[in-house]
Amino acid sequence: METIRLARRAMACRFELVLEGEDAPRLRAAGEAALREIEWLETRLSRFLPASDTSRINARAATEAVPVESWLFELLKRCRRLHDRTNGAFDLTVGPLMQAWGFYGDGGRVPDADALAEARRRTGMRLVNLDEAQRTVRFAREGVALDFGAIGKGYAVDEAIHILREAGVERAFLHGGTSTMYGLGQPADAEAWNVAIVDPGAADEPVAVVALRDEALSVSAASGKSFEFEGVCYGHVLDPRLGKPVRGAALAAAVAASAETGDAVSTALLAEARPSPEYRSLIIEPGAPRRILQNGMPLHSPVNHVATPAAPASNGHAARLNFTPA
Amino acid sequence: MNDRTRGGLLSRRNFLKRSSLIPLSGLLAQSPAIGAAARSAGFEEQVQTALIGFGPQGRDIAATLARIPEATLAAVADHYNVMLRRSQRSMPEVPVFEDYRAVLDNPDISTVFVATPTHTHRQIALDALSAGKHVYVEAPMASTIEDARAMAQAARDNPNLIFQVGLLTRSHPNYRSVFQFIRSGALGRATMARAQWHSKESWRRVSPNAEREMALNWRLDAGVSTGLVGEVGMHQLDPAFWFLGKRPAAVTGLGQIMLWDDGRKTPDTIQAIFELEDGVPLLYDATLTSSFDGAYDTYSGRDSTIMFRDHRAWMFKEVDAPLLGWEVYARKDQFYKELGIALAANATQLDAQDISPTEDDPNLETPLWYAMRDFVDNHAFGPYLPAASYEVGFEAAVIAIRANEAILQRTRLAYDDALFAI
Repeated sequence: METIRLARRAMACRFELVLEGEDAPRLRAAGEAALREIEWLETRLSRFLPASDTSRINARAATEAVPVESWLFELLKRCRRLHDRTNGAFDLTVGPLMQAWGFYGDGGRVPDADALAEARRRTGMRLVNLDEAQRTVRFAREGVALDFGAIGKGYAVDEAIHILREAGVERAFLHGGTSTMYGLGQPADAEAWNVAIVDPGAADEPVAVVALRDEALSVSAASGKSFEFEGVCYGHVLDPRLGKPVRGAALAAAVAASAETGDAVSTALLAEARPSPEYRSLIIEPGAPRRILQNGMPLHSPVNHVATPAAPASNGHAARLNFTPA
Repeated sequence: MNDRTRGGLLSRRNFLKRSSLIPLSGLLAQSPAIGAAARSAGFEEQVQTALIGFGPQGRDIAATLARIPEATLAAVADHYNVMLRRSQRSMPEVPVFEDYRAVLDNPDISTVFVATPTHTHRQIALDALSAGKHVYVEAPMASTIEDARAMAQAARDNPNLIFQVGLLTRSHPNYRSVFQFIRSGALGRATMARAQWHSKESWRRVSPNAEREMALNWRLDAGVSTGLVGEVGMHQLDPAFWFLGKRPAAVTGLGQIMLWDDGRKTPDTIQAIFELEDGVPLLYDATLTSSFDGAYDTYSGRDSTIMFRDHRAWMFKEVDAPLLGWEVYARKDQFYKELGIALAANATQLDAQDISPTEDDPNLETPLWYAMRDFVDNHAFGPYLPAASYEVGFEAAVIAIRANEAILQRTRLAYDDALFAI
């Protein structure tokens, strides 16, 4: 059994891929194709690249219906459904709010009331019209901007996993920035890919160990890119309904069949501050003492050390993934 | 004259427009934002296109077509079912075919994009021209000089059909702008040129089907591959010969397998030194073993050096070079200890839009878009000889194929004039 490890920088984070199989050159070739797919999707989805589809839509959709390819139109439709299913907590149109709060590279600031009101007027999936017959995107008003930040990594991970399956890979683990990951099949010597979720406020002991087998796990945290103003810490995940950074949970994690859904759900759970009844999930409440609420994600406590599945120490494949700022 | 087909008919109908509109179309191609309406008015109908080969390059062509409103992708052909499934997954509305001849037999399709492995271009391109289709073929246009020549001859013998080779820099506004700049003497006397492409990847492809996998790995097959110098270097070497206005008189090559010793016979690391006709040396190196410093090209002369990175250009002036004037106001970027003066194309157009000419054009498109835009415009305003014509494509193919031979033989080979005869 050969093990190949690959890494690539893309989407402002580091993607890592572990593959297991019989033929090292072929495993590597498959892994390279998967990582190339992620890089390719970045060129299509990044709002920071002028030639990307997102930039093209953002620049033109307020004045004309912008045609897009089928795969992107389908992605936009799924984003709308995820928006509805998360009661608006996941929203592609957070662009203007992210801008107002200074989370596009300039460190973060509390916007003044006028700027915030204007950004909120430009936010909301209701401002995005998808024309199924023409396969076009049109904004209802000037200043609307799409941002795939909360879901782009998830979509990219799913597509990369698709490439691996197509190439015949049966065992692999892929993560982007330790916040979005997928376990394909199982490692040769374990029942599942075991991932330790770590409390950003107390990194010594894992909060839970999640077993992934043909499943995705997404972790969202309010820390990471954040700033402090007059004693209040503002995180970079915005609640589009309130127009300000989420003050719900410190961390949210969700297991889903696809990384795309996992990303949207974990983003929403951060705002909701409670686990989802539909998905294996947990949230860590802010403040001390920390309270952890979970659904289907048994907590890993030092007292209850014989956790199921196997604890990371007893499994060479457990990825101990601290959520670190991108 | 070949007017059996739509391609031919279109050309004839547009014959009158051709003489008056060539300069206009040339200008239009420079900016996606300006003149879109004027351009569209030149098209009497949608250009119906087909894509042959849905590998990574084919997929980029399909994606780019979606951004060219006057062209429609009407069919995709690929003889590998995985590629057809990918096409269906990304564009379910576009019909797919296993045999490219089905596409050529369709009279509604006027134009084909050929993005198959290099050594299969010849047959497809020749069949497409005989079927009366306009042809866009990826570069290098062929893997042997003989094949490239046969294609160039067929293109020459069908002046009514557009034949464009995928040498993207020929259509790119930044390269066109620097071309003018270099030709107007910005380097002073040109003294040397250098280009590199560094990447860490195995270049291997994989398929669950062993036979398919062998076919997919044509780039590693010394029997048909044009190697790193052809498949990659071509796109950096072509602008060098274009800018400097000279062909190479000889090439000395070396190649090694330094890291990916997996049974392949093609080097993963190569070096080539071209001696231009006027003596200017051009050094090229490429590797699959290290990504250090990525890819860039430099053109040096007595007064300055111009560097390209990511299709953007900077000028580095010698301290004793004459003052140009405008560089005082230009945007400057620091590269370690060197100060680069950004060379932005479209400066006057940007100025008219109240965008500073020293900023990058916010409407900047991908290199492939400019090339395909040129190609599609040619349907409305041509046919005229494209910037990346069969002549340009043939010359570039000869240079690269010969260089690959020198690399594999680790020797110096001359470029006789006879090699370049079509």
